[in-house]
Amino acid sequence: MLSGAFAYVQNTSGGVQSLVPQIIPVLLVPMGHSLLLESRVEFTGFFQRENLPSGPFSGRFAGKVYKTVDYAQLDWLADSHATIAAGRYILPFGLYSERLAPVWIRNLQDTPLTYSIGTHPYGAADGLMLRGVAASSASASIQYSAYMSAHCSINELQAVRAAGGDTSIFIPSKRVEAGLSYQRTLEGYQINNEAAYLSWQPQRASVDLKAEYDRNHYGDGYWIEAAHIPQQFPVAPVFFRHVQLVGRMEQLFARNGGGNGLPQVNEKRPEVGFNFQIRDDWRLESSYGRLFSHSGNSNTWNFGFTYRFVWPLWPGRKS
Amino acid sequence: MNDQMRKKWLLAFAASGLCLSALVAALGQTAPAATGPAYAQTAATAAEPGEKVFAVNCARCHTPPMTLNPRVTGTILMHMRTRARLSRKDEKLLLQYLAP
Repeated sequence: MLSGAFAYVQNTSGGVQSLVPQIIPVLLVPMGHSLLLESRVEFTGFFQRENLPSGPFSGRFAGKVYKTVDYAQLDWLADSHATIAAGRYILPFGLYSERLAPVWIRNLQDTPLTYSIGTHPYGAADGLMLRGVAASSASASIQYSAYMSAHCSINELQAVRAAGGDTSIFIPSKRVEAGLSYQRTLEGYQINNEAAYLSWQPQRASVDLKAEYDRNHYGDGYWIEAAHIPQQFPVAPVFFRHVQLVGRMEQLFARNGGGNGLPQVNEKRPEVGFNFQIRDDWRLESSYGRLFSHSGNSNTWNFGFTYRFVWPLWPGRKS
Repeated sequence: MNDQMRKKWLLAFAASGLCLSALVAALGQTAPAATGPAYAQTAATAAEPGEKVFAVNCARCHTPPMTLNPRVTGTILMHMRTRARLSRKDEKLLLQYLAP
């Protein structure tokens, strides 16, 4: 089965315009009922106006297309509580990297300022991962992931030696999830990365609240995001049922000079977004954020769309 | 940007947040779900176990799925069982719901 998305974002940050088209195919090949081969690759174009003697960013658009293998893994669904993944997999760190990062899922196109914590430098690992649901009942479920990554320098499959894990508890009656992530890099300057996160969808209001706190040697910070679909808006309810309003506040505190994928100075960014779901598979996106940084403040605008597709490649299965 | 301008931006953001919160509070609970998987929204209105599993698990990260081709539903659920760390039981309930 071939799934994935086409996306296009026009980003303007600090007055500099970037055009970012993306094609992200996801390949799923089931082998029986217990084995699944899955892979996701991102082809991301990044185009900006060239610098000319008359001024910076005043020429024609130029750039290149980058290719990234997000994951290429073989999953063995060993039993109801355990899945073993081997190959290249996305680092299960925090709430954002593994679950919210795909362009067709994220509510705001800008990644959080703390995104590099626990995912730097490649966002993925090569090795083995054990994951699943440790216990599940009507009142609560506990999920877990544990992984070990080897060093790899093969082009497009680069990874660093690291080990870590993630666990979360979800209470269905309250629709609250709380989790913790830990990771230790085992090569170069060995550091710990830690994250705590919370997700809540209150029963009485169609609002989705998510928050995450991350820290490592180079910095710490948080983001809090609220998304709301005004399903019962008194005017034009059919239209507003397709609207999503988003707000996010985030802050990063650089430590020990920052770096390692993080800003070198303290930064904070409030951001608001307006998305419109044209159909199940088409979404228009827009957002505005204001970056407050010790190295200079700037505005960030994003406009774009996402098209999500699912194509069967051959007669498939239903059971 | 000077301090006065910064305060204005922060004030505007805070005001926007308050307005959004007030809007959410005023709207109260969500609209009843229409029929069919594509409109499943809340656990409270879920009619069957699979719909409830979808509402409390899948909807935490993404909106209801596009209309799925029954030929690929089983494969997608294998994928999502791994991604969302679902149990075999939840996978079966979702399959019954999405591809009855």
